[in-house]
Amino acid sequence: MKQDLDRVRNIGISAHIDSGKTTLTERILYYTQRIHAIHEVRGKDGVGATMDSMELEKERGITIQSAATFCNWKDHDINIIDTPGHVDFTVEVERALRVLDGAILILCSVGGVQSQSITVDRQMTRYNVPRIAFINKCDRTGANPARVVQQLRDKLNLNAVMIQIPIGLESDMEGVVDLITMKAIYFDGDQGDQLRFEEIPAELQDEAEEKREELLDAASMFSDELMEAMLEEQEVTEEMVHAAIRKGTLSLELAPVMLGSAYKNKGIQPLLDAVNMYLPCPTDVENIALDLDNDETEIPVSNNPDDDLVALAFKLEDGRYGQLTYIRTYQGVIRKGETIINTRTGKKLKVGRLVRLHADEMEEIEEAGSGDIVALFGVDCASGDTFCGGKLNWSMSSMHVPEPVISLAIRPVDNKAQGNMSKALNRFTKEDPTFKTFVDHETNETIVSGMGELHLEVYIERMKREYGAEVEIGAPQVAYRETITRHADFNYTHKKQTGGSGQFGRVGGYMEPFEEGEYEFVDEIVGGVIPREYIPSCDKGFQASMKKGTLIGAAITGIKMVINDGSFHAVDSSDMAFQQAAKGAFREGYAKAGPIIMEPIMKVAVEGPSEFQGAVMGSLNQRRGMIVGTFEEGNYTVVEAEMPLSEMFGYSTTLRSLTQGKAEFTMEFSSYKQVPKSVAEDLIKAYQDEKKEG
Amino acid sequence: MGYEPLVNQNPLRVLNLGRGSKQLGLVMARAGLGKTALLVQIALDSILRGNRVIHVSIGESIEKTKAWYDDILQFILQEHSVSRPHELIDMIARHRMIMTFKEDTFSRPRLEERLNDLILQDIFRPNCLVVDGFDFGRADRSTVEDIKEFLESMNLQAWFSATSHRTDNRVSPAGVPAPCHEVDDLFDTVILLKPEKDATIQLEIIRNNGIDSDAGIGLNLDPSTMMIKEG
Repeated sequence: MKQDLDRVRNIGISAHIDSGKTTLTERILYYTQRIHAIHEVRGKDGVGATMDSMELEKERGITIQSAATFCNWKDHDINIIDTPGHVDFTVEVERALRVLDGAILILCSVGGVQSQSITVDRQMTRYNVPRIAFINKCDRTGANPARVVQQLRDKLNLNAVMIQIPIGLESDMEGVVDLITMKAIYFDGDQGDQLRFEEIPAELQDEAEEKREELLDAASMFSDELMEAMLEEQEVTEEMVHAAIRKGTLSLELAPVMLGSAYKNKGIQPLLDAVNMYLPCPTDVENIALDLDNDETEIPVSNNPDDDLVALAFKLEDGRYGQLTYIRTYQGVIRKGETIINTRTGKKLKVGRLVRLHADEMEEIEEAGSGDIVALFGVDCASGDTFCGGKLNWSMSSMHVPEPVISLAIRPVDNKAQGNMSKALNRFTKEDPTFKTFVDHETNETIVSGMGELHLEVYIERMKREYGAEVEIGAPQVAYRETITRHADFNYTHKKQTGGSGQFGRVGGYMEPFEEGEYEFVDEIVGGVIPREYIPSCDKGFQASMKKGTLIGAAITGIKMVINDGSFHAVDSSDMAFQQAAKGAFREGYAKAGPIIMEPIMKVAVEGPSEFQGAVMGSLNQRRGMIVGTFEEGNYTVVEAEMPLSEMFGYSTTLRSLTQGKAEFTMEFSSYKQVPKSVAEDLIKAYQDEKKEG
Repeated sequence: MGYEPLVNQNPLRVLNLGRGSKQLGLVMARAGLGKTALLVQIALDSILRGNRVIHVSIGESIEKTKAWYDDILQFILQEHSVSRPHELIDMIARHRMIMTFKEDTFSRPRLEERLNDLILQDIFRPNCLVVDGFDFGRADRSTVEDIKEFLESMNLQAWFSATSHRTDNRVSPAGVPAPCHEVDDLFDTVILLKPEKDATIQLEIIRNNGIDSDAGIGLNLDPSTMMIKEG
């Protein structure tokens, strides 16, 4: 096995929907001889492109889940992580971005930098992912690569520099001129697999000279050697230029721009060369692990194959082969037959089959070294789990999983769907720790909960497509909470005499707000006024009461319960009696403790052209939002706000119409805050009405 | 709002910040001496008086600017007992808005447009503006005059920070160093932060509400907490 990390590339291909990402991936796999025929995304042969392995994706011609695939180009191992191109799936995008070292940003030569490209590009900047831009679809009517380059500079603030110019555009597109070698490249043969190098056509000579100057000027910023050679008018070698471009790209200060048409088989091989030359290998990038034994201290991973294994499970897939877990190794070597430890659960597991994946085929391997992306078979784990070799207890992602903030009741339409639904739910909860499910015992409904409206919609859609589980859904419910604001005493006696042995228990003490956590139980009973064996009964009774508050029936959090008094009866006291007494005591105290309703507040960032900033802020303000700040960069603005989740339903539609579809927003959970009085009154009234009807 | 004790105990009261609404102030120092910390304390003082403040941060992120407020607020909460700290934190968040600009995108027309967006839609009506990171080295007198005129027309109190450099010895007659030596007369209050030998940082008030002075006012900035102290 090759252990030369310099020759490993983990890359993503990222783009706006319909920029031809899947087609490009397909071509790459063809030229690297991983596949032997080319299928179009919406091809007539009904096979579909190789990367879109999910049915839903095939049907819509879009890519939802990131599949990883392996190929080899000129002695370099390239792992391609196919990242989703639609904004609704940014959770998936971000997960994929974690494991890749570099990326190709595809742009349509007509559409240029579209809103999704902006979002994806910002995410890449956030994760420090170096990228090459590829202007695709140069054969389309209206193709204008120069305009796209300008947009890359203006809208994405990239130092975009063309390293190629097109030979003809639209239907006349024949090939490209390489500005480094100063050669024209033509792509001959039915599948464009024969490269023909020629002199630059005379009519393009001037333009090529001019663009080469621009390229050298930009590249020389990253290489003293190149700068000197240019100043002293010595020979500028190809190696010098490549090295300078690589340095600029890795530092994210330069974005080389290439062009072609994936559909017409033009420009792909040079792009692959550029991936090898300019994008980072695993050791060029610093990845951080968290030491779980040391309060999640950040530690850079070593990339050293001799160190203990650290690998991240970044994706689970339930395919025709059974359960597959995609992992990326950061250091050490994973070997078939060895035992590894899941640091989240602490469970040991044995590496059974280890495979390298192409989207629809796989190759058995014995081991995989650091920096590699491979898949494990039949391993029980969740997405985001970290595997170590046994000596370390590190995690690649924080152990903190936020509580879901929104829920939805789902009901299978028939018996068949019932079974499939539970299968699907079981799978999704493993894949995604923020997606949860439970059965509400009062209504007997299955409830799914997650981090946002779209988050749940995607899973419901997948349930239908992948598992054939058709479900009816209820209206989304915000997960409100209740809590108390002040200290309150209680002293409650539970007494019942209904023939036979009675029930008796008295519980006294106080409750108060508890900010450090959800619940704390303190036993300050002295002198055995409540017998030892009934103390846990009190705790149980309190906890049961916290499941449903009296204001709107939401879960109660942030309460410290202290018991310091009570009495019992030698015959009539029992576990049950004290649980009942505790429930009564809780009710009594709760009413006096100034209960309030809390709602989830989301951190929302709306990104879009500056001209819409006023309208965006207005729309957030109308929805009870608090604008935290704005950030302006060129003609591009980000508005950050804290918004109540309940006000965000349907916001994407509002935003789209306000901004002609040019702005987008991301949303994540921030904290729970008290709802304003007027809203609280409405909520309480609605709950009372519902109770009456129910 | 019940935060009067915090206002009254604030050492910055010497500056009489609650006075004129159109006051224009300037905080100057070399890099890293605590200009932002001082501006944030001025902003917090204004908020505690019931004002709304826009913090314009040029070349900084929202996140970092927010972190300044969080840190300084923590120190205030450690030193003074406040009955409901969460309410105070929440109140401050509601009375503050952060506007960040990339270095080359800040200009008077931009600022005017942004403020109008906020005011006309009744989203946020500021009484005070702090501007951190404005590059006086690249602005001529007419630019600063233009901004001053605009702030006056909006009836806003405003505070700017400016970075002086060790290598640049130019100084205005009043004693204000470059790059503000040619525009210092436009400001009603000018404060210099000066490092002393004993590792404290003294506040030298060159002009206080329009009155030139050269006497120290006995305020310094504690370098470990960046808080303004008396004595």
